[in-house]
Amino acid sequence: MRRLPVYLVLDASGSMSGEPIQAVNNGVQMLVSALRQDPQALETAYLSVITFDSSAHELVPLTDLPSFQAPNVTASGVTAMGEALELVANCARRDVIKASGTQKADWRPMVFIMTDGMPTDDFEKGLARFKQEKWGAIVACAVNDADTDILKKIAPESVVALDTADSAAMSAFFKWVTASIGLSSKSVQNGKELEGLDQLPPPPPEIQVVV
Amino acid sequence: MSVINVKSELTGKTYQFDSEKHAGTGAVKEVYFSPDRSYVVQKFIKTQDSRSLERLKLIVGKYRESIFNQAGGDYWETVFCWPTDIVTIPSTGQVALIAPTYGKEFFFQYGSQNNDMLGIKGRDKEGKWFASAHHQQRFIDKRERGEWRNYLGMCIKMSRAVKRLHAAGLAHSDLSYRNVLVDPLSGSAAVIDIDGLVVPQKFPPDVVGTPGFIAPEVLKTLSLPITDKGRFLPCIETDRHALAVLIYMYVLYRHPLQGGKIHDPEPGRDEELHMGERALFIEHPTDKSNRPVVGNLRPTDLPYADIRKMPSCIAGPYLNELFHKSFVDGLHQPHLRPSANDWETALVKTVDLIQPCSNSDCAQKWYVFDNSTKPACPFCGTKYKGLLPVLNLYFRRKQSDPFRPENHRLMVYTDQYLYPWHVHRHIAPNERLTPDQKKPVGYFVLHNGQWWFVNQLLTTLKDVTNKKVIPPGGKVELVDGLQLLLSSEDTGRLVQVQMVKGA
Repeated sequence: MRRLPVYLVLDASGSMSGEPIQAVNNGVQMLVSALRQDPQALETAYLSVITFDSSAHELVPLTDLPSFQAPNVTASGVTAMGEALELVANCARRDVIKASGTQKADWRPMVFIMTDGMPTDDFEKGLARFKQEKWGAIVACAVNDADTDILKKIAPESVVALDTADSAAMSAFFKWVTASIGLSSKSVQNGKELEGLDQLPPPPPEIQVVV
Repeated sequence: MSVINVKSELTGKTYQFDSEKHAGTGAVKEVYFSPDRSYVVQKFIKTQDSRSLERLKLIVGKYRESIFNQAGGDYWETVFCWPTDIVTIPSTGQVALIAPTYGKEFFFQYGSQNNDMLGIKGRDKEGKWFASAHHQQRFIDKRERGEWRNYLGMCIKMSRAVKRLHAAGLAHSDLSYRNVLVDPLSGSAAVIDIDGLVVPQKFPPDVVGTPGFIAPEVLKTLSLPITDKGRFLPCIETDRHALAVLIYMYVLYRHPLQGGKIHDPEPGRDEELHMGERALFIEHPTDKSNRPVVGNLRPTDLPYADIRKMPSCIAGPYLNELFHKSFVDGLHQPHLRPSANDWETALVKTVDLIQPCSNSDCAQKWYVFDNSTKPACPFCGTKYKGLLPVLNLYFRRKQSDPFRPENHRLMVYTDQYLYPWHVHRHIAPNERLTPDQKKPVGYFVLHNGQWWFVNQLLTTLKDVTNKKVIPPGGKVELVDGLQLLLSSEDTGRLVQVQMVKGA
């Protein structure tokens, strides 16, 4: 069975403390519960949570949904986004199964990056490492007034923004992530592959698409 | 609770939905329950152009009426969840469909194992839960799994629904286990998401289908412009492919094309070739390169995913023949694919071949009795014990003609009934049966080691071997070679009894 690796790369810097980080925790919990109820996702999706504050941490390594236990993310420190990009790239290189012999390759991994700040470390170094891996959909989500220009370097075609980090907006975001992972029917396209946000379900009104 | 009122311009009827009772989101629609949950409101996410609106109006109007507003039309309410009206949401201008809520049987009563660890109790029974051995064995509560006989029943309902659409010149265009709800406890199935109906030459499809069910020719030509003559889009023939995949999955709990062959190191390209241009039946009789690699399967996929242990012939000769027609002959030649009607007929005949398994712990409870080998349940290995009467059916065109074999037999088990469709060849067990034709005409029973047929309603039943009339209320012992004429009418069948010895 081909697996679909999904990496959630979440900002846990001090500015996320309080309601935002609580909403992130609830969002991850909700995401896992919803995916477990989807027989297709349950079979294919594997989830990992990577957080970044003053450094990056692999909080939950790539895990199948039945065994996945949602972590309790706490917020403190600054924003080591570059290190997080490097870490997720290293994890993907380690985790994602390539085709060999009779072993089928995993699907290209999906990455959802969420931040409310500016990188405080060597972002370009992390970005360069990140770009070395082959990814499926990459979505970068800017919370409050995160720098969307920076995020566009990570995901040129798919930067979205949440104007508030309250639980309603977070919940809408994680619901959309759930739908993106579980998407099934293929639309009829006029000859070309869909790219960027077009390959995902349309985001709900709480989420602005940054163009 | 946040109830929104909507009114149909088509019918003038008003509807309500609770914008907080979100029932699900797909690629095309968001679904909300009405406050009393008797219907759902399905909002289209994207704006519908005038052609789409015209199609939707035909679906809730003319097409619906042509199927439902006929004698026996009520039957179709049970196998379709067909939208009934169109509304516009005032605040957003979005178009939405009104559709009946699915029957209670299509919602999980117990859900998953370990006190519903997945939290699916009360959710709809999406077919995928039952179409894979892994899901059935690892997750689904035993009380939800149902008996193998009911999976044949589900497939009959599905085939019948698709047959009806095709007879009306319509194609569903996105048949998959997401769009067919099933209930293995009652053997029911309902086709949903009717809004994508394709009308040849009139309404082209919106979606190419769901991965796993998209016909090879559609996948192969995906990258051509839509106007290109070589591009294949969903149609009746692609529905036939999807239907065959569904039936294969519901009776064998594995996918017919997802085998071990690797075509390309890049997963997207590999999948495209695997299900498209180079699609190959995992049980292809000569090209064995796509056989499942048993070592790569999960323990919970076994034994069902191992085709050496569970070859497709365990589904019986009629289905096995159609599997080969679908996935060998017709896989890349759409015109050779069996029709929905072919499937319905084969499934109905297969129901006459099944036997209850004597092992009370058998997960499937029923199996197709195969008298060519040592009869045993293929699922749990339990051998058939004792003597089993097999009734071989013969027909004649008129009284003066000799009887001819029909390639149709009935395996007898205790408390099995004989029905009018066994007696008369002009009666088929389908949606057109009258209430009288649904009544059993006799039954079989094992008494003191002897098999008996007890006649209840047959007025002209004759034991041809012993030249004796058996009146209603009478009985006849089934012995090897016995010939019974079930009815003296032209349409009446002759049965020849064959006694098969088990272990």
